[in-house]
Amino acid sequence: MALNPLLPFIMAGDPSLEALPGYLSEARALGLEALELGLPHSDPIADGPVLQAAAHRAIARGATPRRVLEALSGLTDSPDLILFTYLNPLLQLGVEPLLRLLEPTPVKSLLVVDLPFGEEPAFEATLRGAGYPMVPLLAPTTRLERAQALLGTRPDPGPEAPFAQRFAYVVARLGVTGAGQGTDLAPVLKRLDALKAISDRPLAVGFGLSDPASLRAVRALGATPVIGSALVAGLTSGSSIRTALSRCFC
Amino acid sequence: MTDAFALPTRFGTQALGGCYAPETLMQPLLDLEAAFCGALADPAFQTELKAELRHFVGRPTPLTPAPRLAAKLGLKALFLKREDLAHTGAHKINNALAQALLARRMGKTEIIAETGAGQHGVATAAACARLGLRCTVYMGVTDMARQAPNVARMRLFGATVEPVAAGQGTLKEAVNEALRAWAGRCTTAHYILGSALGPHPFPTLVRSFQTVIGEEARAQVLEQGGALPDAVVACAGGGSNGLGLLVPFLGDRLRRMAVEAGGHGRALGEHAARLDGGRLGVLHGCKTLLLQDEHGHTAETASVSAGLDYPALGPELAALVLDGKVDVRRASDDEALAAARLLCETEGILPALESSHALALLPTLAAEGAATVLLGLSGRGDKDLSTYQSHLEF
Ligand SMILES: Cc1ncc(COP(=O)(O)O)c(C=O)c1O
Repeated sequence: MALNPLLPFIMAGDPSLEALPGYLSEARALGLEALELGLPHSDPIADGPVLQAAAHRAIARGATPRRVLEALSGLTDSPDLILFTYLNPLLQLGVEPLLRLLEPTPVKSLLVVDLPFGEEPAFEATLRGAGYPMVPLLAPTTRLERAQALLGTRPDPGPEAPFAQRFAYVVARLGVTGAGQGTDLAPVLKRLDALKAISDRPLAVGFGLSDPASLRAVRALGATPVIGSALVAGLTSGSSIRTALSRCFC
Repeated sequence: MTDAFALPTRFGTQALGGCYAPETLMQPLLDLEAAFCGALADPAFQTELKAELRHFVGRPTPLTPAPRLAAKLGLKALFLKREDLAHTGAHKINNALAQALLARRMGKTEIIAETGAGQHGVATAAACARLGLRCTVYMGVTDMARQAPNVARMRLFGATVEPVAAGQGTLKEAVNEALRAWAGRCTTAHYILGSALGPHPFPTLVRSFQTVIGEEARAQVLEQGGALPDAVVACAGGGSNGLGLLVPFLGDRLRRMAVEAGGHGRALGEHAARLDGGRLGVLHGCKTLLLQDEHGHTAETASVSAGLDYPALGPELAALVLDGKVDVRRASDDEALAAARLLCETEGILPALESSHALALLPTLAAEGAATVLLGLSGRGDKDLSTYQSHLEF
C-alpha cells in the first residue's frame, strides 16, 4: 500500500464558498488523494485561534452547513473529502436531510470532533450504513487498550475502500489545533509504533504539524501528516493551495 | 469498551446529558468520575468536606423569614435560603471547594475554571488559595467589565484571570476557552466547571455538591414554618443552584420553579430563556435545551445578569422541566432590577442580579395562589452595585 503523503485541511467558506471548487480542483491536480473540509461551527472547542477565526469568518459570510454541502454538489474534480465538524450542526439538519445533501458530493466520511462512539448510536449507524463512516480519533490521553477498542467500534472497511474511509486520526499532542512551535513529536512517534503493532489501517497524524522536518518524521513511520492551521493561514494571506503547501512536499 | 462510565450519564425521558467530548478529554473525564465515586465512598473525604463546609464556607447558611416583603407581595410567608451568606458570597463555593478537594485527591496541581458573574471564579480562587493549588480563571471581556469587583477579588486570591475576547465576551466563550485550556493541560490540571453543565460526569458532580442547599433548606423550613411551603423557587443559569435547592424537594407535593433570564425582549438574541426559544442540541459536551439558530450554531444571548447569560440550560434541570417536575418561567431585566430594589428596601438584603430573577417571580406566584414560598437567594449583590446604580435611581 502506497503511503498517502499529505492530508490537508481547509475551512469551507473561508475566504468564500465560491473559492471552494477552485481549491478542491487545485488540490486534486497536486495529486492529493483526500482532504479534510471543515464545516464551520460557532463554538469550535477543539480548535486553536487560526481555525476559530476561519470558522467565524466563514459563518459571517454565510457558510451554513446546507450551503457548504450544496456548494459541493456535483463536484467531481476534487480529492475525497472528509467532513470535519462538530455534532450540533449535523444533528439540527437531521440524518435524512444530511444524507440527501451528502449524496451528490465528494464527501466520503465524517470526522465529528465531539462525538465519541456510542453517544448517538442510531445517527452514526445510519450514516455508516449509507457509506459515511466516522473517522476514529485517538488522542495522547487514549490508552492503548482504549485505542484498540475505538478502532474496533469504527472499523476499517478494508483495502478496497479509499483512504478517507479507512484511516484513523492520531492527535499529535494535547490541546487544540494550531501550528505548534516545536511540538515534541517523540510521544506521538512512539504511539505510532504501538498502533502499527495492533492495526494495519492507515494512520494520519495531526495537530501542531507545519515544518517539513516534522512532516518527514511522521512519514518515516508510515503515517500521513495532516496540515491544517498552517495551510489555512497561508490561504488567508492570499496564497494558492500549491504555494501554501509548497514546503510540505519536500 | 473496556473502560466505561459507572454512573448514569443521561437524564429524563429524552436522555439529555451524555458525554459529547473530544477524545483528548475522555480519559480525564473517566478518571474524574472514578475519583468522584471513590471520594463519595470514602468517609475521610466526607468528613473533610463537611468540616470545610462548616468552618470555611460557613454552612449551614441561614433560612431567613422575610415578613415585610411577604406582606408587600400578598404572601403569607416567605423564606430566603441565604447562599449569599456563604463564604465568597454565593452558592458557587459549595461546588468549587468540593471539586478542589477532589482535584487535590487526584494529585492535580493546577485548577482551571470559567466564570460568568465572577462568583464561581472567586469561589474557585478562594478554594485554591486555601488548598495551595494554582488557579487560572477564564472570563469573557464583557463580564470582566460588568463584574469588575470579582476580577479584583480573584487576583487578590492569587488566581490568574485570562480575558476571553471572542464572540460576545460572556460565559459561553469562557467555557469554550476553559475546555481548550483543559485539553492542553489535562494531565496536571483539573477543570472545575461552575454549573451543572458540560460533559458527564460534571452535571452529576456539580448537582451532588449543591444539594446541600435544598437538604438544609427543607429541614429549616419544616422547623421554622412547621410545614413545607407551597412553592420553592430558584434562578437558573446553568442550573446548579436550581438543582441544589429543588432536587431535595422532588418527592414533595409542592411547586418547584426555576426562573430564566428574560433579558430585554422575546426575539432570539435578546434573552437567555432556553425553555421558550430553545431546542434540543449539543453544546459544551452535553445534549440539552439550547438557544441556537436553524443551522445549529449557538445563538447570542442577552441578560443584565452575567450569571444567567448563557445559551444552554443544564441537562438535568432541562430534563426535569421537560418531564414536568419543575416549572420554568422567565423574568425580564427590568423585573429583576425592580425585585432587587424591593428586597433591599423591605428586608435590608442586597441580592445578586441572578437571584433577583427568582425574586421577580414572587408577584406571579402570589397571584397564582401560593401562600408560602421558599426562595433560593443564590448570591449577594455587591458585585452588581455598578449595574444597580446605572439602572435604578437612588
Ligand atoms: C449568584 C449567582 N446565582 C446564580 C447563578 C447562576 O448559575 P446556576 O444556574 O448554575 O446556579 C450564578 C452564576 O454565576 C450566580 O453567581
